[in-house]
Amino acid sequence: MTENDFSRRDFLKVLGWGGTAVALSGCGNTSIQDGQETVTSYVTLPSYVTPSISNYFNSTCAQCDAGCNIMGRVREGRVLKAEGNPNSPINRGRMCGLGLSGVQAHYNPDRVREPLLRTGDKGETITWDKALGLINEKLNGTKGTEIAFVTGGMSGHVQALLGNYMDELGSKNHFSYEAISPAVLRAANKKAYGESMPRYRIDKARVVVSFGADFLGAWVSPVHFSQQYAQFRKGSRPEGRGVLVQIEPKMTLTGANADRWIAVRPGTEGVLALGIINALGKAGLSIPADIAAVSHEYTTERTSKETDVSAEQIEKLAALLKERTPSLVLAGGAAEGYAHGSQNAAAIALLNRVLGNVGKTLEASASVPFPQIAPTVGSRSSLIALNDGLAAGKYKVVFSYGVNPVFSAPASMKFKDNFAKADFKVAFAQYMDETALAADLILPLDSAMEDWATVVPEYMAAPEGAGSNAYAQMSFRQPMMEKVFPDTRGVGDILLALLKQRTADKYKEFEDFYSYLRSAVLKNKVALGGKAGDDDEVFWNETLSKGIVPLKGIAGSVSAKASAAGLKLPVPTDADPSYPLRLIPAVSASMRDGRNANEPWLQESPDPLTTIVWDSWVEINPKTAAKLGIVEGDIVEVTSKSGSIKTQAYLFPGIHPDAVSVPVGYGHEAMGRYARGVGANVFGMLDSVFDKETGELALNETSVKISKTGQRVIIVKEEGPVGGSQAGKPKIAVQVSADKVDLSKEV
Amino acid sequence: MKCFLRSLTLLVGLFFYASSHATDALPTLTTPDDVGPVVEQPIEFPHFRHAGDAKDGGMQINCMYCHTYARRSMVAGIPPIQKCIGCHQSIESVRDKPRIQKLFEYWDAKKPIPWKKVHDLPDFVRFNHERHIQRFYFQQDRPYQEVCGYCHGNVKAMTVAQRQKPITMGWCASCHQKDHPVSANSSETGHGPNDCFTCHK
Ligand code: SF4
Repeated sequence: MTENDFSRRDFLKVLGWGGTAVALSGCGNTSIQDGQETVTSYVTLPSYVTPSISNYFNSTCAQCDAGCNIMGRVREGRVLKAEGNPNSPINRGRMCGLGLSGVQAHYNPDRVREPLLRTGDKGETITWDKALGLINEKLNGTKGTEIAFVTGGMSGHVQALLGNYMDELGSKNHFSYEAISPAVLRAANKKAYGESMPRYRIDKARVVVSFGADFLGAWVSPVHFSQQYAQFRKGSRPEGRGVLVQIEPKMTLTGANADRWIAVRPGTEGVLALGIINALGKAGLSIPADIAAVSHEYTTERTSKETDVSAEQIEKLAALLKERTPSLVLAGGAAEGYAHGSQNAAAIALLNRVLGNVGKTLEASASVPFPQIAPTVGSRSSLIALNDGLAAGKYKVVFSYGVNPVFSAPASMKFKDNFAKADFKVAFAQYMDETALAADLILPLDSAMEDWATVVPEYMAAPEGAGSNAYAQMSFRQPMMEKVFPDTRGVGDILLALLKQRTADKYKEFEDFYSYLRSAVLKNKVALGGKAGDDDEVFWNETLSKGIVPLKGIAGSVSAKASAAGLKLPVPTDADPSYPLRLIPAVSASMRDGRNANEPWLQESPDPLTTIVWDSWVEINPKTAAKLGIVEGDIVEVTSKSGSIKTQAYLFPGIHPDAVSVPVGYGHEAMGRYARGVGANVFGMLDSVFDKETGELALNETSVKISKTGQRVIIVKEEGPVGGSQAGKPKIAVQVSADKVDLSKEV
Repeated sequence: MKCFLRSLTLLVGLFFYASSHATDALPTLTTPDDVGPVVEQPIEFPHFRHAGDAKDGGMQINCMYCHTYARRSMVAGIPPIQKCIGCHQSIESVRDKPRIQKLFEYWDAKKPIPWKKVHDLPDFVRFNHERHIQRFYFQQDRPYQEVCGYCHGNVKAMTVAQRQKPITMGWCASCHQKDHPVSANSSETGHGPNDCFTCHK
C-alpha cells in the first residue's frame, strides 16, 4: 500500500487491530500514569480523521421499522452514539430511546460470534465454508415448495437479493412476519381511503381523536409523529393549539399526553365511533345516508351503555369535532386487536369521511418506483400460514432472519413443535434467541452498524413543499466501524454466497454485497438523482454521505370512500365469569415486541407510565384490585385459557376496571444475559383468536383471571412512594376525572 | 471510591497550595522529583535527531509536523506510521538501522505500533492541546519549542519522551494564575481560566 492508496475500508481494517488500550486503575500519589496505557497509533489515516474529533456517517436506524435516518458519531474508529439526521423528513434530526440503544445491539457481549451447528443437544462451532456447504447439501434434492424463508418486514436491496434467491430455489414461500404489526390498520385504510398507509397530518389537525393509536410511543413511525405533535401543540400555529383526545382502555404514552383520556370498555371502540357519528348528526352535521343508516342505531344512550363512556362525554366529543376542523381520527392497536378489529377500524375510518378529513389531514402517500426494493410488510397472518405448513410437514428446509416466532407466537399455536418438524432449520441470528436455539444451523449476523443495506420505509414521510406528493425515499445503512467480532457476516453477503451456490455465473462479478449494492445503485444513477455523465465514484460517495436518496415516487391518491356497507359490530357480551378480565398486552415505546430486549438501556429505562424497570408487571385498576384484595407488589398469577404467567401487580388508575395489562417483549428464555429471565412472556398465554377479515392475531381477545400467590415484592421503579402507596387513593394519578374537564376553552 | 477521595483531597490540597503561592513563588519548572520514569517503548524513537538543533546534529523539525493534531484537536496525536514512512522511504542512508528496520516491519505488516503513554492524565481531566497551541504559538507567536516545552520539557534532548513536569493540578494552576500578554504585541495581560469545569467535565 502506498501512501495515498487507502480507502475507508482499509482504514476500518487497520482500526480493527488497533485501538486496544488497556485501562489500568491508577490511584497512586501521582495523578498521571506514565507508561501504563498504550497509545496505539494509526497505520494510515484518511485526511478526514482527526484524533479526538468525531466524524459522522449517515445511516439508517434498524431498531424498528420506521426507518429513521441517523448519523453515527464515530471517534477513532469506534461508533459512540447515534444521532438523528437533520435532513430526514422522517425524524428530522431526532431519535427515540429505542433507536439510541442501537449501539448496544452492536457492542452486545451476547452476540453470536461463529457459525454454530447443532448435533443432538450440543452445538459446535464450524467454519463458514462448512456452514454454507451444509446448506447447499441440504438444498440439493429439496423441492422449491419444501423450502420456506421467514423474515420480518423487509425492503431494499437485501430484499431484492432474497427475492432472487427464492426464485433460484423455485420457492414462493417467503413469509414476512411481524409480532406487532399494523396489519389490520393497513387493510382498513386500504378499504376506507384507497391506500394502506396514507400520510397522517397531525400537524395540520385542530383536534386529533385517537382510538388507541400510541403515535408518540410505539405506533408506525413514532419519532415522525412526535415532531408533528410538537407542531400540533404550538399555540402560534395558524390553526391554534390542537386538542388531543385519546380513547383506549389502557393508557399509553400518547394517552398520558392527551387533553382528555377516555377509558373505553375494551373492544367497543367501533361502537363509540358510530355513537359519535350519531351525535354529530344530532348536532347538525350532515351525515351521508349510507352511514346514517348504520349509525342512527347508536343513540347516545345505547353507546354510553355499551362503551362505558358517559353520554355527556360523547356529546362533548361530538361538539368538539364539529367545532374544530380539520380534525384527524386515528385507529391503533388498542382498537384493532379483536376478532372484529377490522370492523372497529372501519367504523373509526367513517369518522374521517364524515368530518371531511380525507385529503386534508389524511394525505396520499407515494411509493418507490422500483417494486423490487419496495417494502414487504409483515403480519401475523403469514406466521399462521407458515405454522400450518410446518404442522402439515410441508417444509423441509426453513430459514429465519430477523424474527423470533418461537418467542412471540402464542403457545396455543404450538409453533415450536411445528418448527421442529422441519428437517433443517437455519437461523440468521445476532443473538441466540429462542428461535436460534430451536434451529440446526446458526449463522452469526453483523450488527446494523457493521452491515450494508438499503431501506425503504413503509410509512413514507415527505418534506414540505412542491413535489411532496410524489416524494419517496431510499436510505442507506452503512458500516460505521470494523466488525466487533471478526467472524460475523452481513445478511447480504450470506445471501450472495448462497446465490452463487445456485447460479455462480450471474453473480460472479460481485465479490461481496457491497459491490452488488454499489453496482445496483450506479446502474440506476439517473433515477437516483444523478446525471448520466456523473463520475461513478463521486456519485457513489456523495449519495452515501447524504444517506438519504430522494426518489421521484409514484404518487398515490386517497379518497373518502369509507362505506358503512357490511359494517357489523358485535354487541358486547358479559364476561365469562371464570375469566372476568380482559388482557391487554401493552406495546411499550422501548420494549416493543421484545426483539431488542437484550439491550440493557431498554431494560433499565423506566416505563414512561409506571416507571418500572427490569421486570414485567400487570396493571390493575385500583378498584378491581381492591375487590380482589391485591396491593402493589403482590405477585399474582394471570391465567388465561391458553396459559399463565406470574408477575408483580401494579395498581394503575389509567386502565379500565374490566381490563388488565401486561407489557410484551419481556420474559425471554434465551437471547442473552440482559433479556433472559427478566419478566414474563405474555405472548405465550394469548388465545388463538384472529381478526375475521385479515386473519391477524387478535391481541386483545384473551380473557384472564387473576389470583394471588401469597408472595409480595417491593417493585423496582423510579417513582417515589407517593405514586406507589397512594395509587389506590383518589387525587394522586387522576386529579380531575375525564368527564369533569371543562372543554369550553378547548372548543 | 477511597482512591477517588484520596486523589480528590490531594488535588484540592494542591490547588490551594498552588493558588496561594502561585503569582509570587512559582514552582521551578523541573525538579528531579518531577521527572517521570523512563518508559520503554517498542521503538526507541530519537526525538533529539528529529527535533534537535542543527548544531547538535538535529533536523529542527517543527513538533507539529508529526504531532499534527495539536493545533486543531484535544490530543496532539501520535503520527500514523504512514507519516514516518512518507519521509523514510526516501532516506536510504538509514534504511539498515535497526530502529528503521523495525519501523518498516510494522509498516509491512500494517500493524500499529503499541506506543506507551508518557503523559497519561486521569480520565477526569480534560486537557486541550489546541487551546494552548493557538494561544501561545499562533496568537503570541512564541517559538514552538518553548510553547511545547512548557509542559513537555526539553524534548530536543530526548530519545523517547520522558515526562519532565509534574502535570498535577497545582502545577497547571500555577501557570493559569500567571499573567500572560493576550497577544504578541499587546501590553494587556490576562490569565488562564480557573473554572473547575474547564478541565473537569
Ligand atoms: S422510531 Fe426509534 S427505533 Fe424506530 S427507526 Fe426511529 S429512531 Fe429507530
